[in-house]
Amino acid sequence: MPVDVIMPQMGESIFEGTITKWLKKPGQRVERDEPLFEISTDKVDAEIPAPASGILKEIKVHEGETVPIKTVVALIDPEGATTPATEPAQAEEKPAETPAPSEALPEPTPVAPGPTAAPQPVSGEDGRRIRSSPLVRRLAREHNIDLTTIRGTGAGGRISKRDILAVIEARATAPEPSVAAGQAEAAPAPLRLETAVPRERIYFGRYEVQPLSVMRQRIAEHMVLSKRTSPHVYSIDEVDMTRVVEVRNQAKAEFERRFETKLTFMPFFVRACVEGLRAFPTLNASLDGNNLVLHREINIGIAVALDWGLIVPVVKHAEEKNFLGLQRAINDLAERARTKKLKPEEVQESTFSITNPGVFGGLMGLPIINQPNAAILGVGAIQKRPVVIHDAIAIRSMVYLTLSYDHRIVDGAIAHQFIGKVKSILENWQENIL
Amino acid sequence: MAQVTFLEAIRQALFEEMERDPAVVCLGEDIGVYGGAFKVTAGLLERFGWERVIDTPISETAIVGAAVGMSYLGLRPVAEMQFMDFIACCFNQITNFAAKSYYRWGAPVPIVIRGPSGGGVHGGPFHSQNPEMYFVHTPGLKVVYPATPYDAKGLLKSAIRDNNPVLFFEHKFLYRRIKEEIPAGDYTVPLGKAVVRRQGRDLTIVTYAAMVHTCLEAAEQLAQEGIEMELIDLRTLLPLDRETILQSVRKTNKLLVVHEDTKTGGIAGEIAALVCENAFEELDGPILRVTALDTPVPYSPPLEERFLPNVNDVVRTARELARY
Amino acid sequence: MKISLTREQHLELYYYMRLNRSLEERLVTLFRQNKVVGGLYSSLGQEATSVGTAYALEKRDWMAPMIRNVGALLVKGYRPRDIFLQYMARYDSPTHGKDGTSHFGDLKERHVISPISMLGDLIPVMTGVAMAGRYLGQKIVAMTWIGDGGTSTGAFHEGMNFAATQRAPFVCVVENNQWAYSTPVRRQVPIRNLADRARAYGITSYIVDGNDVVAVYRVAKEAVERCRAGEGPILIEAKTMRMKGHAQHDPAEYVPREMFEYWQARDPIARYEKFLTRQGLWTEQDKQQILDRIEREIAEDLAFAESSPFPPPELAEQGVYCEETYEVKPEWQRPIEEVMPPKASVQAVWQVEDFGGIAEGAVQVIEAATVAARDGTGRREVPRTPPRKKKKLSARSKGR
Repeated sequence: MPVDVIMPQMGESIFEGTITKWLKKPGQRVERDEPLFEISTDKVDAEIPAPASGILKEIKVHEGETVPIKTVVALIDPEGATTPATEPAQAEEKPAETPAPSEALPEPTPVAPGPTAAPQPVSGEDGRRIRSSPLVRRLAREHNIDLTTIRGTGAGGRISKRDILAVIEARATAPEPSVAAGQAEAAPAPLRLETAVPRERIYFGRYEVQPLSVMRQRIAEHMVLSKRTSPHVYSIDEVDMTRVVEVRNQAKAEFERRFETKLTFMPFFVRACVEGLRAFPTLNASLDGNNLVLHREINIGIAVALDWGLIVPVVKHAEEKNFLGLQRAINDLAERARTKKLKPEEVQESTFSITNPGVFGGLMGLPIINQPNAAILGVGAIQKRPVVIHDAIAIRSMVYLTLSYDHRIVDGAIAHQFIGKVKSILENWQENIL
Repeated sequence: MAQVTFLEAIRQALFEEMERDPAVVCLGEDIGVYGGAFKVTAGLLERFGWERVIDTPISETAIVGAAVGMSYLGLRPVAEMQFMDFIACCFNQITNFAAKSYYRWGAPVPIVIRGPSGGGVHGGPFHSQNPEMYFVHTPGLKVVYPATPYDAKGLLKSAIRDNNPVLFFEHKFLYRRIKEEIPAGDYTVPLGKAVVRRQGRDLTIVTYAAMVHTCLEAAEQLAQEGIEMELIDLRTLLPLDRETILQSVRKTNKLLVVHEDTKTGGIAGEIAALVCENAFEELDGPILRVTALDTPVPYSPPLEERFLPNVNDVVRTARELARY
Repeated sequence: MKISLTREQHLELYYYMRLNRSLEERLVTLFRQNKVVGGLYSSLGQEATSVGTAYALEKRDWMAPMIRNVGALLVKGYRPRDIFLQYMARYDSPTHGKDGTSHFGDLKERHVISPISMLGDLIPVMTGVAMAGRYLGQKIVAMTWIGDGGTSTGAFHEGMNFAATQRAPFVCVVENNQWAYSTPVRRQVPIRNLADRARAYGITSYIVDGNDVVAVYRVAKEAVERCRAGEGPILIEAKTMRMKGHAQHDPAEYVPREMFEYWQARDPIARYEKFLTRQGLWTEQDKQQILDRIEREIAEDLAFAESSPFPPPELAEQGVYCEETYEVKPEWQRPIEEVMPPKASVQAVWQVEDFGGIAEGAVQVIEAATVAARDGTGRREVPRTPPRKKKKLSARSKGR
């Protein structure tokens, strides 16, 4: 019986997904839990593992196609392990990449261990019981060795590890078969975004047309929607980061040695925001019609720039985490964002977001609200600047913080008090981070 | 670096953690003015005062219960059992209150329950036991049982900083017998990680606590016969470092488990099952156990010597297994 | 200590007692519809004790409810939906279905500690809570409840004794509801008043009519404030009656019918309704408003609870250990320097005031103050007059 491969439901609110890449071709062998295809839903890109081992029998949904969740997208033939692939299936549509049937030859698979795994030689030719061990029997099976032909030197004539290793060594080893795997490029389904002018006025002179990736399309839709939904207001303040820079410089080496994770500035900002949000809960909220939904947990979305777009993984329950917890979560989410290993629930349920144009040298940025949040904080570059302190000019590490917020929910008074709180925490950093 | 005893290493850990974090408090019987039955807490009261070093009534349930209550307000209490044998008196607080709190309702219980355990000092049936397995059977607890001064200090610090109830067993035979140079100042040893104390190719011995030293001695003897034992010191029994055990078995293909705890229901059985489930086809011989007898710990020296596993028992069994 | 209640507070007490009862009545229906998972425990008849004692606590104070303290949970800010969800084992319950009944809590906002099923163990735990609160300079009081049967446990004794030696700000409410499952109180203890036990711990105790919510509140409030002022732990015995069996499965046929009748005539809610009317604290309209509100809230919360899903099976594997990244953070309300060296440093010497001596050759006899069981049911032990506060104690000394 072939096993159905289905489009998974990547979160409660998700109803469809787009296949961006097949990592296996029909006829190829696939192991259970091995990545089989890549999908794109809303803002998540994810690798989907194979549900079973066998031969990929048929691909029903091709790259670029979008289908509802639970749709069968492919079939795996679990018995494929013992029979060569019979159907080159639908691969004809991409003739250049159709795998040659020979590539579909299955590799020998180890049989699952267990009492019925393989018949064991229970006795030699003379009816004498052959004494060996689980290890010896496995090696014999793997190397096609007949145990009745080996003389044991272990206790009571038992065939030991040493005995069988000697036999294996004496044999010549066969070359390993290799499987060539072709790679297909993703061809996402085109999605229509609004254009501000008649289309013909876009195409002039010399140009090149690049289709947007699924992620790019999703980002575009989300940004348009956010700007249209929320009247954005922007508040800007300047924060003296000298103390935080000192704290970080002093602790960096020890922190990274002890906890084996990078120490960045981000957890300082997250920490300060958590305190700010505790003090001003309307910024940790979402608007649902005429109801303001005040979130009890503080889940901070953190924008991570990727080579292929942008994603906002979420540090859940930031209010429950200590400094180390925040740094661990941030580094872990960023790393997995870059390797496409995020789970769908990890990019959902943010209650507030932070973006950091400063890492690319931006002095400040005016970000767009990550819906359904009420606000987003933009962190500029930390730079040394001359500052007036007590009528003297000092050199201090400064940063611009910008808060974009939904004016339907929050007014300037609250926003500035929030930034003031964040600023005060950062400028008077107290917490021991080690 | 200075030579310190196992006991002094534990005292240093308590001292340093109390200096580092005002949320750390100690409570137990006779731990303050007297400094503890074995003097592990000597000097703590003088330095940290009555509020942080609390002499309690003889009430193990109240000691652990109060520690649990304190932890709910964010403290990190370290409760002492005068002897770990008496931990039976507060079994309910540990296994039903502390262990299940986080799972049931999300309330972490960052407490440490520590105290002297183990035999070899002729303490008789109620001052010599190894009661660790009652707790290894309880999800939600962590169970630590170090063998060296370095580990004792680093593991106790980790235990105090851990957000879960940790039972910290201190083998009293090691208290003043084992010395080691340890670095001054702060360092930690992670919970849940075993350590390979000796590399070898012929068989793996998994053990912990005082038996680590017994097995190291056995390993020296066997090395003279050309048998190279790999020795794993578990350090933490729960959560068990499965990977280090399995890796070693995959290398040597033979396993002997040694512990001072009694045989039936000891951790050796659990480890044997673990290896059979995950690495059966790596085994080139039966999994064997060297443990104490399935009896209470007897008092008189010849009886206790018969009860406890010794170097000869380990050498004999390991030799058989190597030749198998 | 002068303790008075405003009209609004009087009505609030009624609201909580009535909500407690209506909620449990609805739970019985749900139980019969097979929507309650597991057993269902009733606090019918004990509402005044739960509500009146918890009402004496402030927001910062800590409490740990027992199985029949739904009223206390409501006073501390939990809603009927939380109780429904717990009993129905749904995902949105405070424990996400990992535990049921009143076994839940909240360290952060409501300061409620979850009980376990083993009786007595909360006593030392709340002692620790009280000690930690004092250590952190928080000026809090810890409160928990225990039944007549629960006072027989070793944990109760160890905890009370430790609290007493530590003078911890801890109020222990002994709800003497006459029955420990099927065993009458006289088979649990050979003394008339459970409050007598407090004397052995050297702590103050009160005995109160547990079916009079105002009396309960007054006593609890006084006890809480005396604790807060540093007078050490206090025990309150509230005399009341469990009007149902141990749980839904138990018809309580072992309880004499007359005993139910006796206590039925002293129902805490009916009595309080009469009191409010007699004192002119409410009108029929006020009452109706409260009843309507309760009906509406229960309906809304039940609808919410019934639409909540069961937890996903994989949740069973999660949350055995608390990760290192969870922040455990005490709230200091005193300077940390006070508990750190060198300020904390002391000389380790005991002071023993009178060396524990007795006059030479002295002998003292302290006669038993027990009440022997007469007929095994406790029926004739029901007090007809307000309980006596003083007990007989004959002491004779020689050589002084």
